[in-house]
Amino acid sequence: MVLIVCAEVGGASMVRFRVELTRWARGAMLARPAVHGLVGVRDVDERILDEALVKFDAGLRLFHLHAEGMGLVILATTTVAATLARGPRARRVIIFLLTAGGAGYPLGYLLWSGLIPYRGLEEGKAVAEWLVWIPFGGATIVALWWLAGLVALRLARR
Amino acid sequence: MSQAKVPVERWAAARVAANAPAHGLSGSAEYDDEVRDRAIFSAEAGLSFFHTHAEGLGLILFFASTVVASAVPWRRARGALYALLGLGALFPLGYLAYGLAVLEAGREAGTELAETWILTPLGGAAMLGLVGLALMLAVRRRGAR
Repeated sequence: MVLIVCAEVGGASMVRFRVELTRWARGAMLARPAVHGLVGVRDVDERILDEALVKFDAGLRLFHLHAEGMGLVILATTTVAATLARGPRARRVIIFLLTAGGAGYPLGYLLWSGLIPYRGLEEGKAVAEWLVWIPFGGATIVALWWLAGLVALRLARR
Repeated sequence: MSQAKVPVERWAAARVAANAPAHGLSGSAEYDDEVRDRAIFSAEAGLSFFHTHAEGLGLILFFASTVVASAVPWRRARGALYALLGLGALFPLGYLAYGLAVLEAGREAGTELAETWILTPLGGAAMLGLVGLALMLAVRRRGAR
Protein backbone atom coordinates (compact mmCIF):
# COMPACT_ATOMS: atom_id res chain seq x y z
CA MET A 1 0.00 0.00 0.00
CA VAL A 2 2.88 2.35 0.83
CA LEU A 3 4.44 1.65 -2.59
CA ILE A 4 1.16 2.48 -4.34
CA VAL A 5 0.88 5.68 -2.29
CA CYS A 6 4.47 6.56 -3.36
CA ALA A 7 3.51 5.88 -6.99
CA GLU A 8 0.54 8.21 -6.77
CA VAL A 9 2.50 10.93 -5.00
CA GLY A 10 5.32 10.52 -7.53
CA GLY A 11 2.91 10.82 -10.47
CA ALA A 12 1.28 13.91 -9.02
CA SER A 13 4.62 15.54 -8.16
CA MET A 14 5.92 14.78 -11.65
CA VAL A 15 3.08 16.81 -13.15
CA ARG A 16 3.05 19.54 -10.50
CA PHE A 17 6.83 20.18 -10.46
CA ARG A 18 7.57 19.32 -14.08
CA VAL A 19 9.14 22.69 -14.93
CA GLU A 20 11.17 22.88 -11.71
CA LEU A 21 12.47 19.32 -12.15
CA THR A 22 13.45 19.92 -15.76
CA ARG A 23 15.17 23.17 -14.83
CA TRP A 24 17.08 21.46 -12.03
CA ALA A 25 18.18 18.54 -14.23
CA ARG A 26 19.26 20.88 -17.02
CA GLY A 27 21.24 23.03 -14.59
CA ALA A 28 22.94 20.00 -13.08
CA MET A 29 23.87 18.70 -16.55
CA LEU A 30 25.22 22.05 -17.71
CA ALA A 31 27.40 22.11 -14.59
CA ARG A 32 28.97 18.77 -15.68
CA PRO A 33 29.77 19.17 -19.38
CA ALA A 34 32.42 16.44 -19.38
CA VAL A 35 30.01 13.81 -18.04
CA HIS A 36 27.50 14.48 -20.83
CA GLY A 37 29.96 15.11 -23.64
CA LEU A 38 28.90 18.74 -24.06
CA VAL A 39 31.23 20.52 -26.46
CA GLY A 40 30.11 24.13 -26.11
CA VAL A 41 28.41 24.23 -29.54
CA ARG A 42 24.77 25.10 -28.93
CA ASP A 43 23.34 22.96 -31.77
CA VAL A 44 25.17 19.84 -30.61
CA ASP A 45 24.72 20.43 -26.86
CA GLU A 46 20.99 21.11 -27.08
CA ARG A 47 20.43 17.75 -28.79
CA ILE A 48 22.41 15.94 -26.08
CA LEU A 49 20.60 17.80 -23.29
CA ASP A 50 17.19 17.12 -24.87
CA GLU A 51 17.91 13.41 -25.08
CA ALA A 52 19.06 13.29 -21.46
CA LEU A 53 16.02 15.26 -20.31
CA VAL A 54 13.67 12.90 -22.17
CA LYS A 55 15.33 9.95 -20.39
CA PHE A 56 15.19 11.81 -17.06
CA ASP A 57 11.46 12.32 -17.55
CA ALA A 58 11.04 8.71 -18.73
CA GLY A 59 12.71 7.47 -15.53
CA LEU A 60 10.20 9.38 -13.41
CA ARG A 61 7.29 8.08 -15.49
CA LEU A 62 8.59 4.52 -15.28
CA PHE A 63 8.86 4.84 -11.51
CA HIS A 64 5.20 5.94 -11.38
CA LEU A 65 4.13 3.09 -13.67
CA HIS A 66 6.20 0.34 -12.07
CA ALA A 67 5.41 1.38 -8.51
CA GLU A 68 1.69 1.13 -9.28
CA GLY A 69 2.09 -2.13 -11.17
CA MET A 70 4.44 -3.77 -8.68
CA GLY A 71 2.19 -2.66 -5.82
CA LEU A 72 -0.58 -4.69 -7.40
CA VAL A 73 1.74 -7.59 -8.14
CA ILE A 74 2.81 -7.65 -4.46
CA LEU A 75 -0.81 -7.59 -3.27
CA ALA A 76 -1.91 -10.35 -5.64
CA THR A 77 1.09 -12.66 -5.30
CA THR A 78 1.44 -12.39 -1.52
CA THR A 79 -2.27 -13.22 -1.25
CA VAL A 80 -1.62 -16.36 -3.30
CA ALA A 81 1.46 -17.17 -1.20
CA ALA A 82 -0.43 -16.62 2.08
CA THR A 83 -3.21 -18.91 0.86
CA LEU A 84 -1.33 -21.67 -0.95
CA ALA A 85 2.21 -21.94 0.47
CA ARG A 86 1.86 -24.47 3.28
CA GLY A 87 5.22 -24.45 5.06
CA PRO A 88 5.38 -21.40 7.38
CA ARG A 89 9.09 -20.81 6.71
CA ALA A 90 8.74 -21.02 2.92
CA ARG A 91 5.65 -18.81 3.08
CA ARG A 92 7.49 -16.19 5.10
CA VAL A 93 10.52 -16.18 2.79
CA ILE A 94 8.36 -15.98 -0.37
CA ILE A 95 6.28 -13.12 1.05
CA PHE A 96 9.45 -11.31 2.13
CA LEU A 97 11.09 -11.71 -1.30
CA LEU A 98 7.92 -10.63 -3.12
CA THR A 99 7.45 -7.58 -0.90
CA ALA A 100 11.07 -6.44 -0.74
CA GLY A 101 11.76 -7.20 -4.41
CA GLY A 102 8.54 -5.63 -5.66
CA ALA A 103 8.86 -2.54 -3.48
CA GLY A 104 12.54 -2.00 -4.21
CA TYR A 105 12.54 -2.53 -7.97
CA PRO A 106 10.62 0.64 -8.98
CA LEU A 107 13.00 2.75 -6.88
CA GLY A 108 15.65 1.90 -9.47
CA TYR A 109 13.89 4.17 -11.94
CA LEU A 110 13.97 7.05 -9.45
CA LEU A 111 17.65 6.37 -8.83
CA TRP A 112 18.34 6.26 -12.58
CA SER A 113 16.55 9.58 -13.10
CA GLY A 114 18.40 11.15 -10.18
CA LEU A 115 21.76 9.90 -11.47
CA ILE A 116 21.33 11.03 -15.09
CA PRO A 117 22.27 14.69 -14.43
CA TYR A 118 25.30 13.69 -12.31
CA ARG A 119 26.64 10.54 -13.98
CA GLY A 120 25.18 10.60 -17.51
CA LEU A 121 22.75 8.19 -19.18
CA GLU A 122 24.81 5.03 -19.38
CA GLU A 123 26.64 5.19 -16.06
CA GLY A 124 23.40 6.13 -14.29
CA LYS A 125 21.70 3.13 -15.85
CA ALA A 126 24.55 0.78 -14.91
CA VAL A 127 24.48 1.92 -11.26
CA ALA A 128 20.69 1.54 -11.07
CA GLU A 129 20.93 -1.89 -12.70
CA TRP A 130 23.52 -3.28 -10.30
CA LEU A 131 22.26 -1.60 -7.13
CA VAL A 132 18.52 -1.98 -7.60
CA TRP A 133 17.07 -3.61 -10.72
CA ILE A 134 19.10 -6.81 -10.66
CA PRO A 135 18.93 -7.60 -6.90
CA PHE A 136 15.35 -6.50 -6.31
CA GLY A 137 14.02 -7.66 -9.69
CA GLY A 138 15.91 -10.91 -9.15
CA ALA A 139 14.30 -11.40 -5.72
CA THR A 140 10.86 -10.97 -7.29
CA ILE A 141 11.64 -13.40 -10.11
CA VAL A 142 13.00 -16.04 -7.72
CA ALA A 143 9.97 -15.68 -5.44
CA LEU A 144 7.51 -15.87 -8.36
CA TRP A 145 9.11 -19.04 -9.74
CA TRP A 146 9.23 -20.54 -6.25
CA LEU A 147 5.55 -19.72 -5.75
CA ALA A 148 4.65 -21.04 -9.21
CA GLY A 149 6.55 -24.26 -8.39
CA LEU A 150 4.71 -24.65 -5.09
CA VAL A 151 1.33 -24.11 -6.76
CA ALA A 152 2.21 -26.58 -9.54
CA LEU A 153 3.34 -29.13 -6.95
CA ARG A 154 0.11 -28.72 -5.04
CA LEU A 155 -1.93 -29.18 -8.21
CA ALA A 156 0.09 -32.26 -9.20
CA ARG A 157 -0.51 -33.86 -5.76
CA ARG A 158 -4.29 -33.54 -6.06
CA MET B 1 -8.98 5.37 -29.87
CA SER B 2 -6.86 3.55 -32.42
CA GLN B 3 -9.73 2.75 -34.80
CA ALA B 4 -11.16 6.26 -34.72
CA LYS B 5 -7.82 8.09 -34.80
CA VAL B 6 -8.44 9.93 -38.09
CA PRO B 7 -12.03 11.06 -37.33
CA VAL B 8 -10.95 12.13 -33.83
CA GLU B 9 -8.08 14.18 -35.28
CA ARG B 10 -10.44 15.75 -37.81
CA TRP B 11 -12.99 16.57 -35.12
CA ALA B 12 -10.29 17.99 -32.85
CA ALA B 13 -8.98 20.20 -35.68
CA ALA B 14 -12.53 21.46 -36.27
CA ARG B 15 -12.92 22.29 -32.55
CA VAL B 16 -9.63 24.21 -32.57
CA ALA B 17 -10.79 26.16 -35.61
CA ALA B 18 -14.17 26.83 -33.93
CA ASN B 19 -12.37 28.17 -30.83
CA ALA B 20 -9.77 30.20 -32.69
CA PRO B 21 -9.51 33.07 -30.13
CA ALA B 22 -8.93 30.64 -27.24
CA HIS B 23 -6.04 29.06 -29.17
CA GLY B 24 -4.61 32.38 -30.28
CA LEU B 25 -4.84 31.51 -33.98
CA SER B 26 -3.42 34.39 -35.95
CA GLY B 27 -4.47 33.66 -39.53
CA SER B 28 -0.88 32.83 -40.50
CA ALA B 29 -1.04 29.27 -41.86
CA GLU B 30 2.40 28.23 -40.64
CA TYR B 31 1.86 29.43 -37.06
CA ASP B 32 -1.75 28.20 -36.90
CA ASP B 33 -0.76 24.73 -38.12
CA GLU B 34 1.77 24.43 -35.30
CA VAL B 35 -0.76 25.59 -32.67
CA ARG B 36 -3.40 23.21 -34.06
CA ASP B 37 -0.97 20.26 -34.08
CA ARG B 38 0.02 20.90 -30.48
CA ALA B 39 -3.62 21.14 -29.37
CA ILE B 40 -4.51 17.91 -31.20
CA PHE B 41 -1.47 16.19 -29.69
CA SER B 42 -2.58 17.28 -26.20
CA ALA B 43 -6.14 16.07 -26.81
CA GLU B 44 -4.83 12.69 -28.00
CA ALA B 45 -2.52 12.52 -24.98
CA GLY B 46 -5.62 13.10 -22.80
CA LEU B 47 -7.37 10.14 -24.45
CA SER B 48 -4.29 7.98 -24.10
CA PHE B 49 -3.85 8.90 -20.41
CA PHE B 50 -7.54 8.16 -19.84
CA HIS B 51 -7.00 4.67 -21.26
CA THR B 52 -3.87 3.86 -19.22
CA HIS B 53 -5.06 5.45 -15.96
CA ALA B 54 -8.53 3.90 -16.14
CA GLU B 55 -6.95 0.47 -16.49
CA GLY B 56 -4.29 1.00 -13.82
CA LEU B 57 -6.29 2.92 -11.26
CA GLY B 58 -9.28 0.61 -11.68
CA LEU B 59 -7.14 -2.34 -10.60
CA ILE B 60 -5.46 -0.43 -7.79
CA LEU B 61 -8.73 0.74 -6.29
CA PHE B 62 -10.30 -2.68 -6.77
CA PHE B 63 -7.48 -4.31 -4.80
CA ALA B 64 -7.28 -1.49 -2.26
CA SER B 65 -11.00 -1.71 -1.50
CA THR B 66 -10.66 -5.49 -1.15
CA VAL B 67 -7.98 -4.81 1.48
CA VAL B 68 -10.30 -2.27 3.15
CA ALA B 69 -13.09 -4.84 3.26
CA SER B 70 -10.88 -7.51 4.80
CA ALA B 71 -8.53 -5.55 7.03
CA VAL B 72 -10.33 -2.45 8.37
CA PRO B 73 -12.62 -3.52 11.22
CA TRP B 74 -14.20 -0.12 11.93
CA ARG B 75 -17.42 0.47 9.99
CA ARG B 76 -17.19 4.26 9.77
CA ALA B 77 -13.54 4.21 8.74
CA ARG B 78 -14.38 1.62 6.09
CA GLY B 79 -17.18 3.84 4.76
CA ALA B 80 -14.88 6.88 4.60
CA LEU B 81 -12.18 4.90 2.80
CA TYR B 82 -14.70 3.50 0.29
CA ALA B 83 -15.97 7.03 -0.37
CA LEU B 84 -12.45 8.37 -0.95
CA LEU B 85 -11.42 5.43 -3.13
CA GLY B 86 -14.71 5.63 -5.03
CA LEU B 87 -14.12 9.32 -5.76
CA GLY B 88 -10.56 8.51 -6.73
CA ALA B 89 -11.87 5.97 -9.23
CA LEU B 90 -13.26 8.90 -11.22
CA PHE B 91 -9.76 10.41 -11.60
CA PRO B 92 -9.16 9.00 -15.12
CA LEU B 93 -12.24 10.86 -16.35
CA GLY B 94 -10.23 14.00 -15.65
CA TYR B 95 -8.02 13.11 -18.62
CA LEU B 96 -11.08 12.93 -20.88
CA ALA B 97 -12.11 16.34 -19.55
CA TYR B 98 -8.53 17.54 -20.11
CA GLY B 99 -8.65 16.42 -23.76
CA LEU B 100 -11.92 18.26 -24.29
CA ALA B 101 -10.95 21.35 -22.28
CA VAL B 102 -7.73 21.76 -24.26
CA LEU B 103 -9.74 21.89 -27.48
CA GLU B 104 -12.45 24.18 -26.14
CA ALA B 105 -10.51 26.57 -23.92
CA GLY B 106 -6.99 26.45 -25.36
CA ARG B 107 -3.96 24.48 -24.20
CA GLU B 108 -2.95 26.45 -21.11
CA ALA B 109 -6.43 27.33 -19.88
CA GLY B 110 -7.76 23.81 -20.61
CA THR B 111 -4.91 22.15 -18.74
CA GLU B 112 -5.37 24.44 -15.75
CA LEU B 113 -9.13 23.88 -15.76
CA ALA B 114 -8.84 20.08 -15.77
CA GLU B 115 -6.01 20.07 -13.23
CA THR B 116 -7.69 22.44 -10.79
CA TRP B 117 -11.24 21.15 -10.86
CA ILE B 118 -10.96 17.47 -11.69
CA LEU B 119 -7.51 15.88 -11.63
CA THR B 120 -6.25 17.42 -8.38
CA PRO B 121 -9.39 16.87 -6.22
CA LEU B 122 -10.07 13.35 -7.52
CA GLY B 123 -6.40 12.34 -7.47
CA GLY B 124 -6.19 13.84 -3.98
CA ALA B 125 -9.14 11.71 -2.88
CA ALA B 126 -7.46 8.56 -4.23
CA MET B 127 -4.21 9.44 -2.46
CA LEU B 128 -5.99 10.28 0.77
CA GLY B 129 -7.87 6.98 0.61
CA LEU B 130 -4.65 5.01 0.04
CA VAL B 131 -2.75 6.88 2.77
CA GLY B 132 -5.72 6.36 5.09
CA LEU B 133 -5.73 2.65 4.34
CA ALA B 134 -1.98 2.38 4.99
CA LEU B 135 -2.47 4.18 8.32
CA MET B 136 -5.39 1.93 9.30
CA LEU B 137 -3.29 -1.15 8.54
CA ALA B 138 -0.47 0.24 10.68
CA VAL B 139 -2.87 1.08 13.54
CA ARG B 140 -4.43 -2.36 13.35
CA ARG B 141 -1.04 -4.04 13.33
CA ARG B 142 0.06 -2.05 16.37
CA GLY B 143 -3.22 -2.92 18.12
CA ALA B 144 -2.72 -6.62 17.41
CA ARG B 145 0.75 -6.66 19.05
